[in-house]
Amino acid sequence: MLELKRTLDAKGHGVLEMPSGTGKTISLLSLIVAYQKVFPLEVSKLIYCSRTVPEIEKVVEELRKLMEYYSKQTGESNNFLALALSSRKNLCIHPEVSSLRVGKEVDGKCHTLTASYIRAQRHSDPDLPVCRFYEDFDAVGRQMPLPAGVYNLDDLKDFGKRNGWCPYYLARYSLMHANIVVYSYHYLLDPKIADLVSKELTKKSVVVFDEAHNIDNVCIDSMSVNISRRTLDRCQTNVETLQNTIQKIKETDATKLKMEYRRLVEGLKEANVARETDVYLSNPVLPDEILQEAVPGTIRTAEHFVGFLKRFLEYLKSRLRVHHVVQESTPQFLKDIFDKVCIDRKPLRFCAERLRSLLRTLEIADIADFSAVTLISNFATLVSTYSQGIKTLLFSVSHFTLSPLDIYPRILDFRPVTMASFTMTLARTCLCPLIVGRGNDQVALSSKFETREDFAVIRNYGSLLQEMSAIVPDGIVAFFTSYMYMENIVAAWYEQGILENIQRNKLIFIETPDAAETSMALEKYQEACENGRGAILLSVARGKVSEGIDFVHHFGRAVIMFGVPYVYTQSRILKARLEYLRDQFQIRENDFLTFDAMRHAAQCVGRVIRGKTDYGLMIFADKRYARADKRGKLPRWIQEHISDGSLNLTVDEAVQLSKHFLRQMAQPFRQEDQLGLSLLTLEQLESEEMLKKISQIAHQT
Amino acid sequence: MDEEPERTKRWEGGYERTWEVLKEDESGSLKATVEEILFQSKRKRVTESHGQVRLGMMRHLHLVVDCSRSMEDQDLKPNRLTASLKLIETFVEEYFDQNPISQLGIITTKNKRAEKLTDLAGNPKKHIVALKKAVDTVCLGEPSLYNSLHLAIQTLKHMPGHTSREILVILSSLTTCDPANICELIKTLKSLKVRVSVIGLSAEVRVCTVLTRETGGSYHVILDESHFKELLMLHVKPPPASSSSECSLIRMGFPQHIIASLTDQEANAAISTSSGADLSLGGYFCPQCHAKYTELPVECKVCGLTLVSAPHLARSFHHLFPLQAFTESPTEQLQKDRFCQACQGELKDKSIFSCPSCCSVFCVECDLFIHDSLHCCPCCIHNQSNP
Repeated sequence: MLELKRTLDAKGHGVLEMPSGTGKTISLLSLIVAYQKVFPLEVSKLIYCSRTVPEIEKVVEELRKLMEYYSKQTGESNNFLALALSSRKNLCIHPEVSSLRVGKEVDGKCHTLTASYIRAQRHSDPDLPVCRFYEDFDAVGRQMPLPAGVYNLDDLKDFGKRNGWCPYYLARYSLMHANIVVYSYHYLLDPKIADLVSKELTKKSVVVFDEAHNIDNVCIDSMSVNISRRTLDRCQTNVETLQNTIQKIKETDATKLKMEYRRLVEGLKEANVARETDVYLSNPVLPDEILQEAVPGTIRTAEHFVGFLKRFLEYLKSRLRVHHVVQESTPQFLKDIFDKVCIDRKPLRFCAERLRSLLRTLEIADIADFSAVTLISNFATLVSTYSQGIKTLLFSVSHFTLSPLDIYPRILDFRPVTMASFTMTLARTCLCPLIVGRGNDQVALSSKFETREDFAVIRNYGSLLQEMSAIVPDGIVAFFTSYMYMENIVAAWYEQGILENIQRNKLIFIETPDAAETSMALEKYQEACENGRGAILLSVARGKVSEGIDFVHHFGRAVIMFGVPYVYTQSRILKARLEYLRDQFQIRENDFLTFDAMRHAAQCVGRVIRGKTDYGLMIFADKRYARADKRGKLPRWIQEHISDGSLNLTVDEAVQLSKHFLRQMAQPFRQEDQLGLSLLTLEQLESEEMLKKISQIAHQT
Repeated sequence: MDEEPERTKRWEGGYERTWEVLKEDESGSLKATVEEILFQSKRKRVTESHGQVRLGMMRHLHLVVDCSRSMEDQDLKPNRLTASLKLIETFVEEYFDQNPISQLGIITTKNKRAEKLTDLAGNPKKHIVALKKAVDTVCLGEPSLYNSLHLAIQTLKHMPGHTSREILVILSSLTTCDPANICELIKTLKSLKVRVSVIGLSAEVRVCTVLTRETGGSYHVILDESHFKELLMLHVKPPPASSSSECSLIRMGFPQHIIASLTDQEANAAISTSSGADLSLGGYFCPQCHAKYTELPVECKVCGLTLVSAPHLARSFHHLFPLQAFTESPTEQLQKDRFCQACQGELKDKSIFSCPSCCSVFCVECDLFIHDSLHCCPCCIHNQSNP
């Protein structure tokens, strides 16, 4: 709290690291809300970014509790408005639209019902389908602000249903005067969306990124364009349909096209005026000054534009036919494209905008079908707008990837005012990190590339898991470094009969790249933990399981990390990123790689401890973890529990230690035991001694 | 701690860090710590008394013993099975000593099924014989919590409502292999007011936590053998009765031991009804139907009357008025001569214990003996009898 206050006072950035389950959310919220109350002019808005929908909901629930407490203590209802925002998929209450499952379909369908030209058409033709929720909202909703209170997604839906207003647009509209907003990273980081949603947010906001350790990945994801041959093929058909439609319209309604042409000559200014529903296809990063310029003549007429698109497509295709890896910078790429198909930089820049305009003119409402061609045009615009920092990568495997590396540091390149890492005060040592470096036969355990295929290592890993499965109750989660590695090991275990032995103790579930299969496995895993059968989940660091799923209490009594989860170092994207980091920030490749690996390892093992009453074993099965450089990169709250005695253990020693640990932890643990240690009663808090201690801490830092 | 179990070869045992328990004092000697540990272990006892609450005096307890593969683990010496059976023997004796009008049955579970070792009965001898035999059982497969609970319910649900129905599970394995969803069974147990307690031998298992929480039992995991014994002994004391259990008056018979002469006309029904084939002259005759029994307490097979002897009832009486815990104080504070009132030995330990009502002073051993076996303060009784 102290650090946080300091950050707020200094109006700078802060980085805080805290172990999970120690009340990050509530302490952040309570301080910032208090700050908002005292200095309403300095901090007008709190933006809390979280990653997944359940996490968003959790934050809102915490906030609700806080608000209830406020009104109970002060006796007056406060006029705070807090709300959560998510995609249309989670907020839609239209009976037909909300029954769709995929987010893109929902968006597309919503678009067909609410786009401004559709609605304009309806004036002449009232039979067209209509979303009455949006209509109602549009008619009255804008004048009436949302009453103060705390709204999560369901509350918004309820409110929407009661009043017949569309909750999605209601939430988006209310963003502007809400005091606290909780939504996903993407709304702020992804320039494509941020422009729509977060543009009106004031400067005096406090922005909190929860689980910010993978913020850089989010940035890269949001600005990467991945083009494969499939996309290009789909794009081809899209362009053909476009052409047909243009032809048709030309026959029936030539004036329309002419009008569009005239408008384009006037400039793209009207893009700013566009109704909020239309901006589904918003331009990725077109700076404002470009909007002031007129669209270049070469692509102004519809036919010319389609021709242009076709040429561009052909060019991309020809590049994809190349079977070796080419890495080239943007100017090179542009020059090449100019030489080969005579496409200038300027029209490329307007590609996305032009396509948008065309689609609107053609009144093609269902945009979901045209995602491929949109992708290509976005790519074109990106390539031509950013002259530096972008590396265009061409793969022999037919993938174009674009990593706008300058986005990443632009967001991360700040000098934090405060940087603090907090540890937990625990009444009992509820975590037990062990570093297992050797097998029972003294073979060094490591997932190093050289020893990957070594049978002795695989066997020892197997015996580690087998022994652990015999002594750890309920759930065990085991992480491998990659899917490939996991497959190899599991196959070897099967041949050696280790798998069979493990299955006598626990059921085995395996994470696969397929999301549906994985969630099925997870569900069954939890069931097995629940009814006492016990289960092991084999999963992959960096996979879905390691990122977003918590294994509370009995769902994860132990985590085993097989190996150090280094990224695949031969990957093009990574290489480009490393190069960039080296050139711009003088960060050595190795440092970044180790940092990244340990970040993920910590992320994986952190899944099991979700609070002070929880406990779990953390087993790092690789001798490299014992080295100081690796150990030093683990979060402090794990580090402080690694004693010298728990380094480089053999499997046997680890088993003995964990047995003891599990028995200790199973002893009854009541809330009173925590009192005075990690929990303070009011009297204790107000006692002289404690106050002295607090002020001492405050002065130290 | 005080009794060393027979050891296997050192190299067969697991890896232990025996040195971590010991700490040196200032002079570098270990003596102080060792004494401290011994004293601590002596003093650990059940201090929490329930006070004046209704206790379930008539208990029907099913003891479920896990006989699965994991019982062969050697972390209790010589192995888990032998160690636990030995402890269970003492438990059975203690149980009938403290709860004479209660009954006990033993169920074993292994290889995914459950078997009845002994039926619910009030005779400790039969159980102990069965337990002695069970030492040689081969441990294999997995236990089935569901099957054993199900088996226990079958008999427990017919027991009258005023008795307390309990199941005590001694679970070594960390898994259970169940034929159906155990959550349903837990609901049934709850509705039947069966209290299930679990003693785990290895670690905390979620399903047991849920099971005990739902049914109102206790869940403990052992640390070592002495802790195991302590946890078992916790279950000797009758639990507080749930407020919803029925109150009813029970008819009881108090038969006297009669040695019938061979010439007696009534002796023609001389075969004991309860224990089968042994022919004896003496026995207890049911005051209602004159069926003959060799042992008490028992439920008459003919007329269904509960037959007990007066001392039995008296023995369970003390649970209702438990002896207050003695207050502990350091030896230095004692003004009088330092002798224990009970054993007349010199008080050498650091602290002494005094009875709150008569202020007599006792040593640790006597304090434990008084609370565990006598259940009344000898000095108070002495004062009462000759004022």
